[in-house]
Amino acid sequence: MTPASVDTSAQGIATRASQSLTRAVMLDGSDLFCERDDRILFEHLSFTVTEGQVLQIKGSNGSGKTTLLRILCGLNDSYQGSIRWYGQALEAQVEEFYGTLLFIGHRVGVNKVLTPLENLRWTCSLQQQVADAELYQALAKVGLRGFEESQCFTLSAGQQQRVSLARLLISDARLWILDEPFTTLDAGGVSLLEGLLRSHADAGGAVIVTTHHELRVADLQQMTLG
Amino acid sequence: MNKQRVSTGQAFRATLQRDLLIAYKRKNDMVNPFMFFLIVASLFPIGISPDSERLAEIAAGVLWISALLASLLAMDNLYRADYEDGSLEQLLLSPHPLYFMVLAKNIAHWLVSGLPVVLISPLIAYMLNLPSESYMTLFVTLLLGTPVFSLLGSIGVALTVGLGSRGLILAVITLPMSVPVLIAGTLAIEQTSNGASLGGYLAILGAMLVASISLAPLASGAALRISVN
Amino acid sequence: MILFLVIGATWALLYVPQDYQQGLTNRILYVHVPVASLSLSFFPLMAVAGTITLVWKMKLADMVVKVAAPLGAWFTALALASGSIWGVDTWGTWWIWDGRLTSLLLQFFLLLGIISLRSALEDSDAAARACALLSIVGCINVVVIKYSVDWWNTLHQPGTTFGMTSDQPNGPEFWIPLLIMGIAVALFFAVSLILATRNEILERERRSQWVQELVQE
Repeated sequence: MTPASVDTSAQGIATRASQSLTRAVMLDGSDLFCERDDRILFEHLSFTVTEGQVLQIKGSNGSGKTTLLRILCGLNDSYQGSIRWYGQALEAQVEEFYGTLLFIGHRVGVNKVLTPLENLRWTCSLQQQVADAELYQALAKVGLRGFEESQCFTLSAGQQQRVSLARLLISDARLWILDEPFTTLDAGGVSLLEGLLRSHADAGGAVIVTTHHELRVADLQQMTLG
Repeated sequence: MNKQRVSTGQAFRATLQRDLLIAYKRKNDMVNPFMFFLIVASLFPIGISPDSERLAEIAAGVLWISALLASLLAMDNLYRADYEDGSLEQLLLSPHPLYFMVLAKNIAHWLVSGLPVVLISPLIAYMLNLPSESYMTLFVTLLLGTPVFSLLGSIGVALTVGLGSRGLILAVITLPMSVPVLIAGTLAIEQTSNGASLGGYLAILGAMLVASISLAPLASGAALRISVN
Repeated sequence: MILFLVIGATWALLYVPQDYQQGLTNRILYVHVPVASLSLSFFPLMAVAGTITLVWKMKLADMVVKVAAPLGAWFTALALASGSIWGVDTWGTWWIWDGRLTSLLLQFFLLLGIISLRSALEDSDAAARACALLSIVGCINVVVIKYSVDWWNTLHQPGTTFGMTSDQPNGPEFWIPLLIMGIAVALFFAVSLILATRNEILERERRSQWVQELVQE
């Protein structure tokens, strides 16, 4: 397991350097259709996300941004059309997909009575083994040094958001799906997150994000719903 | 930056630990069902009769029904906080079979809400004048039966977790489903005190437990996916 | 259906010889037996339709689950009511904790649970799947309930001799009207299920063109 993954990542860097134009398509959807309460949210929607790309989804309130993200994660399956992961139907490889997907939703998944450390430990431990030292490090990087051991209901909304962002530092997921991650962040948090998106894309990962924030990323693709 | 993948067993343990930790930090949730059990069971002598012979007759039923109601009361916080803060989505998106994740949550929940009720039951049984030869039966049957209540209740909670007012619906869904366990448990106590052997009843309760361990988390998982959808 | 109902009802009410023990009350069995036996078929029906809803996402199956639940509750209530009316004369009381009555009562509660879950969930898609799942769980449960209640009942009333089997009509003059009533009630059930499903289809497709045209005619 371990040597194999080392191998692929090393290979990944090599291929990216030599042939940046032929990066693999990671996720693509075609002809997506979703209807909610007799109202069509979107139809004939198609997109592709390649490795190293950031896909920004815009749209007015109620245009189906969150629904689209949840459909892509497999949390919502009331849609028609096809979604493929590296060219294969997503339904056939859900476990592999979930092994390398990182989703931060509108509700960030931070339990109020647990401390940031305990929250982070659990969410990360669903995917990979992490040492405590690394958790402390990640929390320090997102500006929560000194808050590691205080219960999350004492933290502000922005700080709780930062707890979830610490997952981005630890995870080696290749695809990030983030739903309005900038809303509660202050200026420092925004630039931190932007930096994270950039470095993830540079390392060959992909991001799908809903936000109205102007993103400064090298390979940015925008899609507007509604 | 290359990390070891986590086995399902490790994720199971992590989830179990997390839920136990949450319960430990929210002691109220842990104590409430327990207090409820004590109070309900002690209302029966007041409502029916303090006469010790009549109490002895109804003691087994009172204990079982109180345990059932206490488990119903405790069910509500099984998925609610996780649903509201988004942890449930993370659980559903884990690369492990949902069955084991749900089972971990169920076990943690039973350990903090069901087990204390089982442990205190001999004391209440004494107060209700249950014949002393039935104590062991009561304890063992409750030990096998209350996890079934939790597992069945979990299906109902998973179906109703997105609803604003779910108390009554949860009761209407869950209580009739729990009847077989109630019957097996109370019959076991009654019949063994008449001299029947306990083995058959334990086998039936054990079968119910095994069946619900293997099926109920699947149904709960499916229900959670529907509720989060 | 009406033909069968009329023939069956008149025959049962007027021409069947009176039972020497039970007198006129016996005649309610001609309603009770078919209704009660049909009400047992609701959970299997809903579970099958629920499986189809969950696996193939067929909307028609969900409509069947939706309309079958209240219909089933009515049938079960009718079976309970006719059973207890019959019980007044036979057993001397409106209600006894007979095995059959108890498991029917619990089935009634489960059906009420499905109905209230359906009405509480706003999103129709979520409601469809939640109710489908609950129907399947409920169906398994009804079977377990049935066996455990019978078991409970036999242990609690070892000496009871009443039960409906012993009282059922046995000569051809008894069972032919019963058969006709059985067919009539089954037809009634089928027709009401189909009519209710039709209503449901019209309501869900109220925006589609063919419904609009139908209304205008």
